Amino acid sequence: MEILQYALRKLLAGLPLIFGVTLVSFALMVYFGPDMTYQLLGKNPTPEQILEVRHQLGYDQPFLQRYLGFLREIVTFNFGESSTGEPVTALLAKTIPVSLILILPGFILGHVVGLLLALAAAYWRGRWPDKLIMAIAVIGMSVSFLIVIIGFQIVLSSSDGLDLFPVRGWNASSLGSYLSYVTVPTLATMFVALGYDTRFYRSVIVEEMTRDHVRTARAFGLPESRILLRNILKNCLIPFITRVMFSIPQVAIGGALLIESYFGIPGIGKATYEAIVTGDQPVLKAVVSLTAILFVLVVILNDVLYRVVDPRVTLK
Amino acid sequence: MAGDAGRPVLKVRDLTVEFATEDGVIRAVDSVSFDVLPNETLGLVGESGCGKTVTGLAMLRLIPMPPGRIASGSIELDGRDLVPLPNRDLEDLRGRDISMIFQEPMTALNPVFTIGNQMTDVLCRHRDLTRRQARPVAAELLAKVGIPEPADRLEDYPHQLSGGMRQRVMIAMALSCNPKLLIADEPTTALDVTTQAQVLEQFRVLQAEFRMAVVLVTHDLGVVAETCQRALVMYCGSIVESGTTADLFSRPRHPYTAGLLASIPRLRSERLAELPVIPGRVPDLLNLPAGCRFADRCPRVQERCRAERPVLTGRDSGVACHFPL
Amino acid sequence: MNAVTLPLTAPNRASGESLWHKAARKFGRDRLGMLALGVVLAYFLVALGAWLGWWAGGWADLTGTKWEPVSSAHWFGTNIIGQDIFDRAVFSTATAFEVGLSVALAATFIGAVFGAFAGFFVGSWIDEFLLWCMGVLDAIPFYLFVAAVAYALTDNPWAMQVAMIATFWVGTGRLIRGEVIKLRGMEYVEAAHSIGVSELAIIFRHILPNTGHILLVQASITFVSAIKAEVILSFLGLGIKDGMSWGLMIDESTKEVLAGFYNNFLAASLLMFGLVMAFNAVADALQDALDPRKVG
Repeated sequence: MEILQYALRKLLAGLPLIFGVTLVSFALMVYFGPDMTYQLLGKNPTPEQILEVRHQLGYDQPFLQRYLGFLREIVTFNFGESSTGEPVTALLAKTIPVSLILILPGFILGHVVGLLLALAAAYWRGRWPDKLIMAIAVIGMSVSFLIVIIGFQIVLSSSDGLDLFPVRGWNASSLGSYLSYVTVPTLATMFVALGYDTRFYRSVIVEEMTRDHVRTARAFGLPESRILLRNILKNCLIPFITRVMFSIPQVAIGGALLIESYFGIPGIGKATYEAIVTGDQPVLKAVVSLTAILFVLVVILNDVLYRVVDPRVTLK
Repeated sequence: MAGDAGRPVLKVRDLTVEFATEDGVIRAVDSVSFDVLPNETLGLVGESGCGKTVTGLAMLRLIPMPPGRIASGSIELDGRDLVPLPNRDLEDLRGRDISMIFQEPMTALNPVFTIGNQMTDVLCRHRDLTRRQARPVAAELLAKVGIPEPADRLEDYPHQLSGGMRQRVMIAMALSCNPKLLIADEPTTALDVTTQAQVLEQFRVLQAEFRMAVVLVTHDLGVVAETCQRALVMYCGSIVESGTTADLFSRPRHPYTAGLLASIPRLRSERLAELPVIPGRVPDLLNLPAGCRFADRCPRVQERCRAERPVLTGRDSGVACHFPL
Repeated sequence: MNAVTLPLTAPNRASGESLWHKAARKFGRDRLGMLALGVVLAYFLVALGAWLGWWAGGWADLTGTKWEPVSSAHWFGTNIIGQDIFDRAVFSTATAFEVGLSVALAATFIGAVFGAFAGFFVGSWIDEFLLWCMGVLDAIPFYLFVAAVAYALTDNPWAMQVAMIATFWVGTGRLIRGEVIKLRGMEYVEAAHSIGVSELAIIFRHILPNTGHILLVQASITFVSAIKAEVILSFLGLGIKDGMSWGLMIDESTKEVLAGFYNNFLAASLLMFGLVMAFNAVADALQDALDPRKVG
């Protein structure tokens, strides 16, 4: 009950943010976005036809009116039909699950492996395992996501390489084919995340290692490995949770956008990219509002999780 | 052991601790030797930065390494040298044979675990107890250090307790395995005066009950006078004077000790403004003078003091001064 | 008023200088950092040569046939229409510096100014508004935002840079805001306040110069982010419009690697990796050197 009330309060506090995100995205993508008029018309349109189409698309209305109309669509969650004639909600229902099962494995593995490497580096800090892991992390940070994708594709999928997985495309009809299509994107996502995440996790852990309570635990004879895995780790959870939570929106849209465009996977990222390129307003509006809502949900969930892991945090 | 009152619990010989810094190596503790006898409370006194806390930490080998290291010397607990001991054996010893309590009760306890959790950790680590068995023992220990409703307090997190209560929890944890030696680093400095007195009183009672030796690291001569039988005065990493508390307070021989004593405010002193202070500053540890390290601040300084470094005349009772008072 | 404010900052400047002195000494002893700095300078010379027309001027010329292998005439071979890959890769180095430097300087400058205003007027409506802006920019996924800006500014050659600057300043802004909140409580700032130095003067002459160490590190991190983002945006068709860049080369190579021709891909990605890695190492070394807490 306390948490529910808190979440509601937070949601209210998040309204300005939703307002800002929708306003900026609306202005950029819809108002200043590509003009679809001439794509919808045949050759040599008459001025009447142009006006007609512009009216249908809402281009003739003032900015404020169009934006308010957009807000109404968000509240009712009714974005109409995409320019291909498909209802937007149907498009979302079709593409979002694809993106989820595409992105999740790499997202989870990236954070888990990053954390494990960071723990190892922190445990042996200053010695060769630490130096090795940190060197790998710097390499991971220095390679572009796109290069990693192409590199993995050459090594794992091309005829010059191991030729183990499909080059591109998507088929999740069976577990076997899902695994064969998801592996290369997952490895690429993981590798790129490892660089930054390992460094982040290690720096938080090493900082926590200098705290007085760690010295106390040592003074009472608790073994070093146990101090690291229990006493220190639990104290690091707040920055860790923040990191994971706030990477969700970035990965959900940004990561999906690149991977899906490259591999030709029909997920929400690719749909968004195509909508931007073609100026498909209803799809863009839906994605933008979903993104804003996702962000606010992440903020709320983040705070609730704080409360769970740290007894000092109160939901005020 | 109890009958063998003369044999020291802890024998420290020529202990030297160094820290690597950007600008060079600092010798934080320089050839320090002393004994701690059973059941006694030994004061380790000096200004901040004199090496007393590092000495205390070195007793459990808790100096952060790197940048610190024990450059030479031995620390014998009941005849066993801790300096070359493998980490695993050391971990068995910490909290069981030697315990330590720290200056900052605010940060010394882990903020995300309950008091009970942290206490049972220590109990299960060193005594053959399950968590379930350890809880009543923990509650009993809390009662011993004067915490009311101890069973309820076990469920509390550190931030729910006052500073004084937290320091009592630390003491209870330190006592939980009946250690032979307790290192207390400024245990009451962070507390207000009333709480300070209560905690010190409790401390004395418990020391008698648990029959352990205590090394009390402090800058507060008042605390030394109240609790210690003997004391060592440290300056710039070395011991400059040692002796019984009574001797030190009534007949200080090192000008530094005398200066420290003179700077204690007395309640009856009408003119607080005239409180004497030791002039000058502690020398830079990177750039120590060749002779006596106190020479620049000493009212009795002579030619010889700047040329030749005085040595401590006796381990249990001695002074490191060419021209003692 | 100048005469009055100068002595106030003097002690602070002095300690600031000694921080930089100390940092320079520390950086000089960091062998890896110095090596990385050397690599970055070498890249910069390559870029300088391309700007001055000393080399790589023929990056757009057809000097060979399709997919020629490595030879003395074409050190990295030729691409699908017979252009020299070595020239293209070298020319792209100059593009990388153009993108990296322009984005890093602009984003750091904006981040510094906005962060300083937010921090100095912490709690006021200015702070609230700037925080709201940062929150909004954080909440819009980067590639979505860049894509949107790029399309909103279609035909503008700076669309990509504008989009990067508009998002990359936020990180610097937050850091500077935090630092300025700390600094504004310092005595010398309060002293300047009490003798009536204007708020703008305090911010720009007394506070911001003392955040230089953060700005330097942030600028180098932003430089790396910009070069990396360029590659992905060029692939998405949102990047460099006129000219040549590593991103465009890699985009070109995506059609070639599956046919077994790797020269374009390897040339661009290895050159880019070298610069980004060296810059990352420089940023790390700078951070170590400028961190007063760090010992050794």
